Amino acid sequence: MEVRVEGGDEFANASYSKICQNVFRDIGLHSNVDDVYMYCNPAEHVFIISVKVGRVPSPVTVNDMTIRGDKRLKVTNERYVPKLLALLWDKFGERVKQLSRLEISVDLSTEEMQELMKMVVYDPREDLNTRILDAVDRILPEGARVRYPIPAQSQGQGRLTIIASENPITDEWKRKAEEMVSKLKKELKLNEGGA
Amino acid sequence: MYKIMMFSGGVYKFNELKELVQDIGGFILQEMVMQTETMLHLAFPAEEEPVIKGKVKEVGGKLVDLPLAGAEIMLVAPSLGRHHAVDPMCDIAEFLRRKGAITNMMGLARGVGKRIAQIKVEEKKIIEECDAAVFIFGNFKECIEEKAKLCEGLEVPYIIVGGPPEMDIPHYVGGIGRRTERMKRKHEIEKLEQMAEGLRVELDVRRQEIEEDPLATSPLFVKELIDMTIPPKLGEEFSTIIHLDGLRVKLEPGEEDKVRQIEIGKRKLLDICEMKKSLYEGYLLKILPEAVTGSVF
Repeated sequence: MEVRVEGGDEFANASYSKICQNVFRDIGLHSNVDDVYMYCNPAEHVFIISVKVGRVPSPVTVNDMTIRGDKRLKVTNERYVPKLLALLWDKFGERVKQLSRLEISVDLSTEEMQELMKMVVYDPREDLNTRILDAVDRILPEGARVRYPIPAQSQGQGRLTIIASENPITDEWKRKAEEMVSKLKKELKLNEGGA
Repeated sequence: MYKIMMFSGGVYKFNELKELVQDIGGFILQEMVMQTETMLHLAFPAEEEPVIKGKVKEVGGKLVDLPLAGAEIMLVAPSLGRHHAVDPMCDIAEFLRRKGAITNMMGLARGVGKRIAQIKVEEKKIIEECDAAVFIFGNFKECIEEKAKLCEGLEVPYIIVGGPPEMDIPHYVGGIGRRTERMKRKHEIEKLEQMAEGLRVELDVRRQEIEEDPLATSPLFVKELIDMTIPPKLGEEFSTIIHLDGLRVKLEPGEEDKVRQIEIGKRKLLDICEMKKSLYEGYLLKILPEAVTGSVF
């Protein structure tokens, strides 16, 4: 993940760059975001943050997180167990029992079992936007509560740009933000072309 | 004038040290025994320091100076949101506690932002109940300059901490701004040391003022008497907090009169103290100067 912060003084830029890195790492989006650009103008109290979403991991299926046994499932990744159990109980009810921390008994026929192994337990795309917005909210200064998202048609797919301020956001800043985004897109294209 | 120090060591002859402190007219402010480890906050007359040092050498332990002991310090952040807590708020609070202070944390109701940042009169009063305050104001120079105006007119000593290394505003310590990780590196600890030193200097001025116009009696002595009259409840910590010129006492309803009637020498506590309900917690006792009350003994 590449982070670039501009607009503030040297100290502010460096510290906000670190805050961006740490927040995305804490939320677990470090590898799902390609680049983050932040523009700070503390004098006018306007902050613009633009996040380019990168590759998102593919959905986690039952097969990915368990080992199939004889009417048993052995959990190999405990992180998704609450979601798995909720899914199983919802679908099969009392035929599913949690025997121990990592063992689940499933009283299912072979066909049902095959179907079960393909089921999606968790799709990271589902809550990706919520998580990114949470990260943006943690990064932007707390006082900048007036927000304006740049519409998707003017910035393209896979990018999220938000203007934040404590004052009403003027058209001038909206225009400046759009210019910044198109400049970022051009830079990205040039880099991709160069690579 | 009392000196407050922290003893840490083993349990060997530990009771002898406690007895010695009491014999020379000192007080045990805090006591913590953890299996074979002990920690004591001792207050004793400053001139008796060599005697205590001698005893500590004999029992084998460490004696550390607590420059902020006897002071209650309020940490004020623009809000109690995660932008300011856990780091750096808790780092600062922990560090100040290590230096002997009792710390409180407070988030302002409308403290965020630059133009919109405000402080309420009630909040100012709560801050002024403490001996000193530390304001934590972000990373942007422009915002800190604007927010520094909120602290103007405070009647207690205060320090402003922020990110930029240097700024042209009074009582400012840089390098402790908004952050998302713990302050544990050497240069960060040095910044915290600088802040504690700044507070010590501010508090020493106040201590000096009190020494020039001495109080009717020491808050430490009053604390001892209050704890004897109303023993701390089980599991309750810091039921009585010492200030430089008084105390904060946490009382159950109906106990106020018991405190007022405590006898100190020839006088009662109500004669030498102003007692009022705190806006924050418990009751505030402000001990009047001896020049006003006359001698208590």
